[in-house]
Amino acid sequence: MRSLLLVLVPLLPLLAGLVTVFAGRRLGPRVHLPAVVGIGAAAIAALLLLFTAGGASGTGHGTAAPVEHTVELWRWATIDGALTPADGSAPRPLSLGVTLRLDPLTATLLVVITSIGLLVAVYSIGYMHDDPDQPRFFALVSMFVFSMAMLVASSSFLLVYVFWEAVGACSYLLIGFWYRRPEAARAAKKAFLVNRVGDFGLAIAVFLLWLTYGTLDFHDTRLADGTLVPGILGAARLADPTAIVGGAIGTAICLLLLLAACGKSAQVPLHVWLPDAMEGPTPASALIHAATMVTAGVYLVTRCAPLFVAAPGALAVVALVGATTALVAGLIGTVQTDLKRVLAYSTISQLGYMFAALGTGTLGGFTAGIFHLVTHACFKALLFLGAGSVMHAMGGVIDMRRFGGLRTVMPVTAATFLVGALALAGVFPFAGFFSKDEILAALHSRGWPDAHASGHHDESPAAATPPAVRVATWDRRAAPPLIPVASGSAASHRAVAVSASGGAAADGPLDWLAGPRLYRTLFWMSLFTAGLTAFYTFRAVFMTFTGPLRLPPEAHGHGAHGHSPHGHDDHGPSHGGHGGHGATGHEPAGGHGAAASHESPPVMTRPLVILAVASALAGVVLFIGHGLARFLAATPSLAAANVAATAVPPVFHWDLAIQGTLAAAIGIALAAIGHYGRRSDGPSVERFLGPLQTLFARRFYFDEIEHAAVVRPLEWLAAVAATVDRVVIDGLVRSVAHVPVALGGVVRRFQGGVLQRYSVAGVVGVLGMLVALAWNLWL
Amino acid sequence: MTLPDGATPLLLGSVAAFAAGLWLLLPSVQRAGWLERWSSRLGVALGAAALAGLALAGRRLGGLGEEAVFQIVAAVALVGGTATVVTRSPVYAAIWFALALTGVAGLLLVLGAQFLGVATIVVYAGAILVMFLFVLMLAQPTGLAPYDRVSNEPLLSAVAGGVLLALLTVSIGRLSAEPPACCQVPSRADAVAAAAAPARPADPAALDADAVARLGAELFGRHLVAVEAAGLLLLVALVGAIAVVSRGEAAESAERGAA
Amino acid sequence: MLAAAFPSLIHGALVVGAVLFVLGLVGILTRRNLIVMFLSAELMLQGISVSLVAWSRYHGDFGGHALVVFVLTVAACEAAVALVFVLQAFARTGRLDSAAWQSLRDTEVPRRIDRELPATDTVAPVWPRLTPSGVEPARDDSAEPSREHV
Repeated sequence: MRSLLLVLVPLLPLLAGLVTVFAGRRLGPRVHLPAVVGIGAAAIAALLLLFTAGGASGTGHGTAAPVEHTVELWRWATIDGALTPADGSAPRPLSLGVTLRLDPLTATLLVVITSIGLLVAVYSIGYMHDDPDQPRFFALVSMFVFSMAMLVASSSFLLVYVFWEAVGACSYLLIGFWYRRPEAARAAKKAFLVNRVGDFGLAIAVFLLWLTYGTLDFHDTRLADGTLVPGILGAARLADPTAIVGGAIGTAICLLLLLAACGKSAQVPLHVWLPDAMEGPTPASALIHAATMVTAGVYLVTRCAPLFVAAPGALAVVALVGATTALVAGLIGTVQTDLKRVLAYSTISQLGYMFAALGTGTLGGFTAGIFHLVTHACFKALLFLGAGSVMHAMGGVIDMRRFGGLRTVMPVTAATFLVGALALAGVFPFAGFFSKDEILAALHSRGWPDAHASGHHDESPAAATPPAVRVATWDRRAAPPLIPVASGSAASHRAVAVSASGGAAADGPLDWLAGPRLYRTLFWMSLFTAGLTAFYTFRAVFMTFTGPLRLPPEAHGHGAHGHSPHGHDDHGPSHGGHGGHGATGHEPAGGHGAAASHESPPVMTRPLVILAVASALAGVVLFIGHGLARFLAATPSLAAANVAATAVPPVFHWDLAIQGTLAAAIGIALAAIGHYGRRSDGPSVERFLGPLQTLFARRFYFDEIEHAAVVRPLEWLAAVAATVDRVVIDGLVRSVAHVPVALGGVVRRFQGGVLQRYSVAGVVGVLGMLVALAWNLWL
Repeated sequence: MTLPDGATPLLLGSVAAFAAGLWLLLPSVQRAGWLERWSSRLGVALGAAALAGLALAGRRLGGLGEEAVFQIVAAVALVGGTATVVTRSPVYAAIWFALALTGVAGLLLVLGAQFLGVATIVVYAGAILVMFLFVLMLAQPTGLAPYDRVSNEPLLSAVAGGVLLALLTVSIGRLSAEPPACCQVPSRADAVAAAAAPARPADPAALDADAVARLGAELFGRHLVAVEAAGLLLLVALVGAIAVVSRGEAAESAERGAA
Repeated sequence: MLAAAFPSLIHGALVVGAVLFVLGLVGILTRRNLIVMFLSAELMLQGISVSLVAWSRYHGDFGGHALVVFVLTVAACEAAVALVFVLQAFARTGRLDSAAWQSLRDTEVPRRIDRELPATDTVAPVWPRLTPSGVEPARDDSAEPSREHV
């Protein structure tokens, strides 16, 4: 039953995609049916899986027995003796199985992917309903859900790589969905090329993993002759932390995996593609570039948690990259005027948060990252769909300076958007509050390990250190024995050494980074970013929904169409008003923006409401009793010995919560002041920031720097290569071609058309042969 | 079998003289003044020398009767052939060709092919050559055409001809007087005759007796199908020639009508 | 010494045939008048005929003779058909020049033109003109052709 459900989750979207591809045109106005039904069924299957994937709940936090269930669909390839280990042991076969796995991490992500995918698909029914290329859109969405489900469900690095590329391809196709617009085509190309860099890292990482571990499977596999091959993340290896390779090799693998994750999850410095990816349809942005695909990097790092824990230097880099990304993207977000771009930068920022959490290398950090992933998927999808609803109504205009006060005309959108914004800002009791608090707690536990380990104050590192007191425990049932992270008995384990010594016992090349000092800095950065998040989020909310009603002319222009919110079948006439899109529109789909003074149709607002409820409640529900963390702890990767050893007791840190809430409140207040203050008419934020504003608005010049550092040298290299090609290679080829031409020039003169000359030549030739014959016979 | 001493230089010298004379006699424009003036005389002299050399090389000691006749007709044929090739005027060339034909016919008679000798005179000199002359008269140029006064690659052609002739004469000179046993492939009639009668040596003189009758028997016995095919070929050629002429005339008249 | 070069009659006949053949070959290669070229071809056939008869004598049978009969036949056919084509060609170009057709030459090779002609033969011979069949000849009493040759 479990196996069947596990297979059904990716299979149904795949079938939906294929049906849409082959029968899309015939379905006419019901072209969305296969996608919605397929993804919906997959979502139900994923939910059922969620209940079967749970570990034995009674074993307590941090020591949960690993839950793993694998289904080998078929064996892809087997190559005997593919690898001869350096230590002289028997050659190992390369055995590639197409295997699906089920564990709490996969189950969680499958639920997120399919449910968000379902809501987005439903929303798209309204959003895309008069786009002529609907079949392509729904096919791509289905294929994306399939690829993403396979990415998180496959149990081998090679399959992960395959579907890593597959989701990248779907992303490329969806960004460039309106490929006739040059910006969309350029954005798609940019996303693809930037992702190449990350994929390169993943490919090298897979090679290194193969050479290092002699297998690519996550789970333990049994060969035909009965020998057990311990998988990279298999039970046999995870039970023994020394079986995981650390040091330079491990650090290299982890850094390469991080490079891959940076590409897919838009971390600095590979984040530049994500804001541009907003050229795609808004539902695609919500699904792929906010909620699911960009979290693939988070998933990858979490899945490889034991590897990362064994390489503390790489972990420190993860945290550093994450916190830096969060801060930089947040700063850029403060000055954006494009609603979707604000959300895009906030996505980057939140992903940076997740990476910072993962970078702590503690069980709490990993679970916090996934927790934030789940909540972020809810509220960011909500925000994006809300933005799409606004854009839908505004006739394709998304510049926040051109409209305002929309709460009166779009009450549902405004309310749900506000819920999403509160969740994003981390206001109690919305979802973001809890997950962000977990992240801050994880960072705090690494920055001030003593405070968490022993439970008393440690104010020595910095005078301003907030008290890290465990005021309350939310889970009173389980009071597991605290694993002393600094205990001598565990000091031989690398993971413990990292946790305890702060990098002193490092044996990886970057391990010196991983010290409390770094995590303290990152903690403060993250706290600041929390305030920043609240600021720019509410800046967008204020600019869009409050104040006097202002509407852009495009919205009025489209209002003349007499659009019925329920009339989703009238494809034809509504296309007549597309004339002005080339100049003004962000979204060609805005042709039915007749609802300039109306709410979006229910098919669009219902997903918003559902997501709003989820955003409001997910945090509480998943946080009570540390349900999600407890659930995830049964994942083999997180139940690994070296990861589990880093567990800290699940406590709710009031002090951190208060700090986070304060930061959010300050941010909201600043945004309100900026908007409602005396200078609400002018760009107050810009004036306040001064020269920094330019820096933020130009996105820290990342594009320019990368252009100068990467693109320009590559162009030079290409120019040199082109010159070499033209002069040397082509010259060789041409000279080869010149030889017959020159020979032909010689021979051509004999081609005079005079028959008798030909016959003379023929006779001379025959005579030559005769003479040769006579020479042979007589001499 | 190899050529005797002295024969090879003589043969090759004759061939060289032949080629050089031919080159001098061929119509050409590119010679120096004195050579132009003397070319025809020099060519004739060289040709005569070549002829004499060949005759010398082929002269048998004794048995002058048949041999003398052979040499005379051979000389007629060769002189006629040479003149055919080198004469500027095509009409004269045709008449020289008639002379060469008589020489060839004489050669055939000497070789014991009486029927063929007569047929050559009748068919060639009587029919084909007259047809050539008719065509020449029909396609009459005004005056001596320029293309009759120049020739195509005379030197190269003469040298090529000389080389070929040298090869042929040397290889003929190395031929044994009597055919080797391996080469006497008995015909089917011979095989039948050999079975019935005692073995008959390959005596060239024996061919002379009843030559025409035996040729007739050969043609209409062993080569009957081929003879019929040849007759058909003649018919086809006749029809084809008429068809081409009539179509060409139709095209011409159409052209005239269009003009 | 020399007797052994051609020890029998047929050797002499073979040599004569070879010479005739070579003469015809050189004629075909050099002469540009189509009629003369055909005469040369016939000359080659004559050489072959002589050789065939000689070989027939050499082997003591009539195979060579029979072949010569066929040679005659083919020569007659060839003459008939080829002369028709020569006439057609003459009707198109007004010449019997084999170099009148040079269309098959390469585009960059110039047409061959006889720039220089020998100064001899300045006196143009006048040949009798045959009236085409079926056409009454034009009466021209004043210009009765007087000829120096033939």
